[in-house]
Amino acid sequence: METQWGSNPWREMRRLQREMEHLFNDFSPTWRWPLTGEYPPINLTRDDKGITLEALCPGVDRASLDVSVVGDAVTIRGERKAEPDVAEERYHRRERPIGAFTRTVSVGEPLDQDRTQATYTSGILRMQLTRAPEATPKKIQIQS
Amino acid sequence: MATQTMTAAPPARPRDVAERAVRTVAPLVDIYEGEKAFVLLADMPGVAPGGLDVVAERDTLVIRGRVERPATAPDYQEFELADYYRAFTLTEDLDTGATSATLRDGVLRIEISKSPRVQPKKIAVRTE
Repeated sequence: METQWGSNPWREMRRLQREMEHLFNDFSPTWRWPLTGEYPPINLTRDDKGITLEALCPGVDRASLDVSVVGDAVTIRGERKAEPDVAEERYHRRERPIGAFTRTVSVGEPLDQDRTQATYTSGILRMQLTRAPEATPKKIQIQS
Repeated sequence: MATQTMTAAPPARPRDVAERAVRTVAPLVDIYEGEKAFVLLADMPGVAPGGLDVVAERDTLVIRGRVERPATAPDYQEFELADYYRAFTLTEDLDTGATSATLRDGVLRIEISKSPRVQPKKIAVRTE
C-alpha cells in the first residue's frame, strides 16, 4: 500500500494522538501504529540535498533487511525473528512483535536509484535519498 | 527522568529537561526462562550504548534508555523517539550478581542467572 504525503491532515492527527497519549499515561510504545497501520513507522525530512527517510525497526535480522528504490517509491523489507529454540511455554511475557514485513512508500519525487545510501544503527534504518536529475530544480535564465 | 544520573552527558538545556519529563515510554519486552538463566529482551530503538542504564538491585531490575533526538522536526512524522524506563521485580531464585546485558540494533538483551539451588541438576543413575 502506498502513502502520499500531505502535511496538514497529519499535523491534526498528531495533535489528537498526543492527547490520547496523555490519557494512556505514557504507557504507549514509541511508535504510532494505529494511525497508519503499517510497519515500520517512518519519518521523512526534505532539504535541498535530498530526502532523508528513517524507519523505526529494532532487532531486524540484518540478512533479511532489503531496501529498493523504483521511480519515487522506496520499498523496505525485513524480518524480526523469534529467539531460536525457545518453546512457547517458556515465555513469561511476550510483547514484541515478530514476523516479516514489507512497506512501500511514495515520496512524491523521482529518485536516483544509484545514489541511495542506507545505514542501520540502534534499530533505526536511515536512508539518504537523492532526487533524480529531472526532479532537481534548475535555474532558468530570463532573457530580456 | 530529568534527575537521572547519566555519565559523560553534556548539561541539558532547560527546554530539553522539560521535554524529557514529558516523553518517557515503557519499552516492549519479552521474558523467557532458559535452562540456567532468565532472558529479557527489550525494544529500545534510538538508544546508543552510552545512553543505556541497567541496574539490578536487591529485588528490582531497572532499565533506562536515553535517545538522541533530531534538532529539527521531520516534515512528515509517524514516530517520535522517547526515553525509556521500565522496572521489574526480581524473585529470590535469581542471582543478580551473574547478570549480563548487551545492546544490538536497538534491542537490549539481559540474562540473569538462576540461583544455583534452582538450576536443574543432573543426577547420575547407576545401574546395579
